[in-house]
Amino acid sequence: MKPLQGTLLAFAVAGHAAAADKAVQETNDYYQRPLEQLLRVETQAKAAVGSRGGARDALDAEVPIDIITAAQLQSTGQTELLRALAVLVPGFNAPRPSITDGTDHAPPFTLRGLSPDQVLVLVNGKRLHQSSLLHNNGTVGRGSSGVDLNTIPLRAIERVEVLRDGAAAQYGSDAIAGIINIILKGYGQNSQATVTYGRTGEGDGITRQATLFHSLPLAGDGFVNLSAEWRDRGATNRAGPDAADGGRINTHFGDADTQDGLFAVNAELPRGDATLYLHGLYDQRRSSAGAFYRSAGDARNIAAIYPDGFLPRIEPKILDFSATAGVRGVLDDGARWDLSYTHGHNDYHFYVNNSLNTSLGLATPTSFDSGATRYTQQILNADVSKKIGPHTVAGGYEFRQERYRIVKGDPASYMLGAADNSAYGAQGFPGFSPDNAVSAGRQAHSLYGDLKYAVSDRLMLDAAARGEHYSDFGSALNGKLALRYRATDDLLFRSSVSTGFRAPSLSQSHFSYTGTYRNSNDAAAQFWGNFAVDHPVARALGATDLKPEKSRHFTLGMVFQPSSQLTASADVFITEIRDRILPTGYISAYSLSSLSPQAAAVLAQNNIDGAVYFTNAIATRTRGLDLRLDYCQELDNGARLKLVGAYQRSRTRITDVNQAPDVLGVNMTDLILDPFTRVLIEGSQPADAIKLWSKYSQDIYDVVLNLNRFGKFYSVSAYDRVSFAAKWTVDGEISVRLKKDLTLALGGVNLLDVKPDKWGRTDDSLVGTGKVIQYSQYAPFGYNGAYYYVRVGVDF
Amino acid sequence: MRIGWWGLGLLLCLQFPSAQAGDEERKLEAVFIGRFASYIEWPAKPRDRFVITLLDDNPFGSLLDDLYRDKRIHNKPIELRYATRLDQVGETDALFITLSSSAARAAAIDHAQRNGILTISEAKGFAESGGIIQLDFVEQKARIKINHAAALKSGLRIGAPLLSIASVLRGDKL
Repeated sequence: MKPLQGTLLAFAVAGHAAAADKAVQETNDYYQRPLEQLLRVETQAKAAVGSRGGARDALDAEVPIDIITAAQLQSTGQTELLRALAVLVPGFNAPRPSITDGTDHAPPFTLRGLSPDQVLVLVNGKRLHQSSLLHNNGTVGRGSSGVDLNTIPLRAIERVEVLRDGAAAQYGSDAIAGIINIILKGYGQNSQATVTYGRTGEGDGITRQATLFHSLPLAGDGFVNLSAEWRDRGATNRAGPDAADGGRINTHFGDADTQDGLFAVNAELPRGDATLYLHGLYDQRRSSAGAFYRSAGDARNIAAIYPDGFLPRIEPKILDFSATAGVRGVLDDGARWDLSYTHGHNDYHFYVNNSLNTSLGLATPTSFDSGATRYTQQILNADVSKKIGPHTVAGGYEFRQERYRIVKGDPASYMLGAADNSAYGAQGFPGFSPDNAVSAGRQAHSLYGDLKYAVSDRLMLDAAARGEHYSDFGSALNGKLALRYRATDDLLFRSSVSTGFRAPSLSQSHFSYTGTYRNSNDAAAQFWGNFAVDHPVARALGATDLKPEKSRHFTLGMVFQPSSQLTASADVFITEIRDRILPTGYISAYSLSSLSPQAAAVLAQNNIDGAVYFTNAIATRTRGLDLRLDYCQELDNGARLKLVGAYQRSRTRITDVNQAPDVLGVNMTDLILDPFTRVLIEGSQPADAIKLWSKYSQDIYDVVLNLNRFGKFYSVSAYDRVSFAAKWTVDGEISVRLKKDLTLALGGVNLLDVKPDKWGRTDDSLVGTGKVIQYSQYAPFGYNGAYYYVRVGVDF
Repeated sequence: MRIGWWGLGLLLCLQFPSAQAGDEERKLEAVFIGRFASYIEWPAKPRDRFVITLLDDNPFGSLLDDLYRDKRIHNKPIELRYATRLDQVGETDALFITLSSSAARAAAIDHAQRNGILTISEAKGFAESGGIIQLDFVEQKARIKINHAAALKSGLRIGAPLLSIASVLRGDKL
């Protein structure tokens, strides 16, 4: 052996021995402590996501996983899961869109700058259905349907596992940017009731929340946990005065006025080596937000009805529920099995009030049922896993059935009457017409396998493969290879390569939303709008069945844990996605100057002014970096100090553009990639984020202080890219235990009342400095400013 | 030379097992076994060693051996034994059970009760089914559940300091 090799070997052995000594030393230290103190030791968080071999230490996983605890969620002061995760998870982006139709009431979220439908959400490891709402306005996530996280009561959650890697080879479609696995409170929980009251610094956005979590223990350490929550979040309004309306503030630009009634159940009933389990979520939401204001003299107004103009109110009723029932167990040879059925449903019903259908004249109603979108998902799942020595073999089968429906509104909500040629349907949100109504479904079968092979105590290989067959687009086969090498007991390296996919959502394939107008009183009605890809008009304009988006992933990282108090991790990642699905631009003879005569003839023959449909359009590459530092110190006075620092950076670039359909005679860049869409994909989400989270806990009080940096982002005004500077915000909470079971918390979000940059000078009549809309709705922390709250909690 | 480098790499990958530095749950479990025993009185036994036996999988690696090498319980040196089947469990004072099958656990509990052995496990429902001490981890903290009646039936007396920090089953679930 050469001297260098000998030296390295000596270092390796010495390093190993030193690390082992340290582990024993730490254990010896525990051995000397009083029992009461041992019960206060906080162990490392476990994560079940990304592994079919059971939960393991998140830090010891082959892939980067963040764990958000119930205490962290509560200490954010947020009453909604969406907002709490935006505070705690770097790279989790949840802007506050406004005047965006349905999106106001079920805002989207993204991970790592990708799209809302490129995140898989699980509840207790089972797939949660997406909302039926298709984000169809100019918001982050335009053209996608995502999960509505606010349908989950915050107090029902024990922890949230955020896997920062592609995992479609294990979980199937959607797991491209990552996975959010929400673990509901399970065994051994205290019952708790809380009441929260909060408001913004400007006095609006009054939030009232009452929660009840009750745990009923059953025999054999089973349990039934019930959560109920009522949440009333008042509207905020940051609209500016309308100079064209005498300086009145006539528009609503801010959070919707939203009331949620939520319920959750999580239960386990052990019977010998089997456990029956059930979990369910239910949310009924009423919400109200404005459309754009119609002034008194607006052609869309009927002055006899609204002499001063009117602000249409879009007021949907949303019903969302899901339930999973199953049984899992262990065989005599140690093999574990799990059979389950999941049913999820979302009904997004649009109602429009304080409005009118101009084309109906004075006979118009002022309230409308504009129809609904509905989505139902059913899943049968069978999993089996077995540990063979240090190795784990797992596999399973999944059957998924989906159905998407559009339900027409009442006739007055969509019709074009005789009194006006252009202002059809309910102002604010015209209803879905009978032409738009659809009921479309599909089925998917999946087979998957996972092998976790321990090459040694220090080197672990994880190989996974998943084959799927969808009844609409066909098959997909994906694989993953992950490696975890523990160089020393302090230092771990991890890397993974994988492929993934996202099945085109049924809403993207079948969404249809068209309107009508007439050129003159006796002319045939002209149609315009979004056509489903299988609509004859869309077909004639080159639309094809949507293909899945396909992705490739690479991560490389390390975890350094010099002591049980301190952990540092760094991970870099690359995600490449091709055939990303986007809506086309407006296909019309006047908006596309080079539109082919053939396409123009299709439009003319079908009385179409212009059309939009979804298509596989572009390829992107996202590169990024995640840094994280966790520190926990037990102090001599019995107090505990926890510090978490996290930095996330991701940057998405368009790398390729698919060929546009020949029939259109235009290229895909002209068809889709206008400046707005390019900025939406590449720049609308903050390029980086910093989270500094700290908590000091004493016997009778906790103090939490969070420092957040939201990175720079871009938006577009009149084809020009506009940048908005990064901002720092500070959140804080002090929580005092008044009695053993009674806690009072006072806190503030964005204590320094920081607002995002305003739009600069623009030529737009509504958007810009001193105009009605002064902030970009891409702003990652919204534009409400400071928010203060008080919370009282009782354990029982 | 190339073989030398490969050999070095292999050695680095295949180093002998040790407890993982970060697995706090395992460390605490390892510690609790001995600490529990120090609060429990056994009927007088003629052995000069305190024997702890691990039944079925060993999730601790070498941690138990490293921890208890120089420790004493009830003034006796500690001997660690590892068994994969119940019939391999000889005379022992404490039995840490990692069996996944409830029937196998029940058989182990029955054996322990007949032989005055302290049983410890992290299996759900362990204490209710006659095990003496059940260790749980809820929200990253340890919890102790003790079946006091089962301990008495086994002839063991559990000290008040241990009972005072545990959730105690005092019914007749043996």
